[in-house]
Amino acid sequence: MLHSQLPWWIGGPLLGLCVVAMRWLMNERLGVMGAWTDVVTTVSRRRLSFGPFGWMLFGLIAGAAVFALIAGGPDFHGYGWLTNTFSGTSGTLLVIAILLGCGILIGLGTKIAGGCTSGNGLSGNAMLSPASLVATTTFFATAIVVTFVTEALIS
Amino acid sequence: MSTRAAAAIIGVVFGVVLSWSGMTSPEIIREGLLFQDPYLFLFFAGAVLTALVGLRILRVRAPRALLTGERVQWEPVKPERRHVAGSVLFGIGWGVAGACPGPIATQLGQGIAWGIPTAVGLVIGIVLFGRLQRRAQGDPGRRLAPAVIPSPVAADASA
Repeated sequence: MLHSQLPWWIGGPLLGLCVVAMRWLMNERLGVMGAWTDVVTTVSRRRLSFGPFGWMLFGLIAGAAVFALIAGGPDFHGYGWLTNTFSGTSGTLLVIAILLGCGILIGLGTKIAGGCTSGNGLSGNAMLSPASLVATTTFFATAIVVTFVTEALIS
Repeated sequence: MSTRAAAAIIGVVFGVVLSWSGMTSPEIIREGLLFQDPYLFLFFAGAVLTALVGLRILRVRAPRALLTGERVQWEPVKPERRHVAGSVLFGIGWGVAGACPGPIATQLGQGIAWGIPTAVGLVIGIVLFGRLQRRAQGDPGRRLAPAVIPSPVAADASA
């Protein structure tokens, strides 16, 4: 049962309620990049006194771990189009390098834009923030173009 | 309840929903971005609409935050070049890797080793941004984030 995808009309509203809960409980904008940043800055000061956002990231990872334990791990092998395109030892190393580079782009880009899919995409748009609408349109459009271009290149 | 405990519980719910909805899988993200499966967009729209309605209710009723007691309020942000520039970089990474910051965390939680290089890159990106920002400080022309102190004109306008 857990391996069948949660219907979007249940999963979507549940995520939306997380945004509302964060605002109602502590007047904060829910954003996963804020959560990552709290952990990185706290650790870089050689401390472990994480704020609410740091604890949100730990909750996020724990929730996924609990899900994996109940559902029996992910039902996919390899890593999508990347491992399908680049195989063998050198291919695996290349995929790792590509993912590392993507991580840097995602981290730097979302910090510059002040939010990711949750901070700008969910919370910012729900706050009717024009900056978040601009950011969301830009990252969705860019990701769609990049996906179609890579799909054309490998086929 | 402390804000830390509450945020951790919200994180758990967020993590279970992201995992159960398949957002951890780069293939499901890719099928969405290639318009082969409407799930990604329906899921996202369902989340935004629910949050929008919920926040509108909070906006109108303006309660005090249940845990901190402060007034529940927020200010909309005006678009700047950084919102476009940063989101282009993010969009490239998201399109190629098929993962954004939430799913990167849930990949780690589910024990998907491919999430490790992406997460390491993400941390490098955060550190890099901190350094760029510190270097740009004191030089408003190179500032990446908005000024912390509002200008007198803006303060008058909002008063």
